[in-house]
Amino acid sequence: MQAPLRGERIALLVQLGISRLLSPLWIPLTSAILRFGFGWRVDAAERAAARAEYRRLRSEPKAPILICANHLTMLDSFVIGWGIGYDRDYLRDFGALPWNTPETVHFASNWWKRVLAYLYKCVPVRRGSDRAEVAKVLDKVRFLLARGQTALVFPEGGRSRTGRIDVTAAAYGVGRIVTALPGCRVLCVYLRGEGQESWSDLPRRGERFHVSVACIEPKSDQRGLRASLDVARQITARLAELEQRYFDGR
Amino acid sequence: MTAKEIQDRVVKILTPYVKDEKALASAGPTTNLLEDLKVNSARLVDVVLAFEDEFDIEIADEDVDSVNTIGDCVALIEQKV
Repeated sequence: MQAPLRGERIALLVQLGISRLLSPLWIPLTSAILRFGFGWRVDAAERAAARAEYRRLRSEPKAPILICANHLTMLDSFVIGWGIGYDRDYLRDFGALPWNTPETVHFASNWWKRVLAYLYKCVPVRRGSDRAEVAKVLDKVRFLLARGQTALVFPEGGRSRTGRIDVTAAAYGVGRIVTALPGCRVLCVYLRGEGQESWSDLPRRGERFHVSVACIEPKSDQRGLRASLDVARQITARLAELEQRYFDGR
Repeated sequence: MTAKEIQDRVVKILTPYVKDEKALASAGPTTNLLEDLKVNSARLVDVVLAFEDEFDIEIADEDVDSVNTIGDCVALIEQKV
């Protein structure tokens, strides 16, 4: 992988600075909208366990952390960010608030969505676009992780059409990020609303979410593309285990 | 191995991944895998791994970024064999 160009690195750091400057406004506002606007809540015990694990990881020496989650709705990133960290933690340790790589078409339609994406630490990507363009986004994510930031990606590449983790759908780009960062730890996050039978645009109003996390440090004896794919599959396999545990406990 | 021979084998490998089979029938060096043949971008890595197996070569992560057309595939394989 290559480092982003100087201009791109500066643009990312400016975005980070502006987002951080305004974070005392938008972080509590976002939490309030999720909690009181949508009426969403996360199982308290599971949320406390997830937050404790994430806080523990962030307190360890600065090896990169990539967050990988299952993907069922367009607002998963918000709910996951809200579910695994306290507002006060994010305000104190802004790097803990993960960067996201949303699909460009969801945010390019009007100016206020673009502003929100900018503030919410997003690096948009056009899925299925030119490989070099996708690689640039992966390079940016790797650059941010190496600087102590975290990022949230969905290793299935998109919202699961079956509503369940598809291990064979592992997007190798995730593995490519991990293999390029020695010691990179992956926080696997499984999040699901009780009423979420399959994929959708939004979770239902008043949804109660369950969250579980597991930290892994995937490694592969293989090389090149095969190593990246192997790592991506280890991550989706761990997510599938978390999913199985969720359904076993229902 | 000539470029034509490589291209024929590339087209054969691509066949199960192609959604637009009509486009494959008239495919040439400028045919784009994603846009013309409608290969799913998530499956592109499987295609490249199949190239590795077929031609007994190793392709680096970065090399995948330059694969857009059938001509790109042929050029990449020619470099490695």
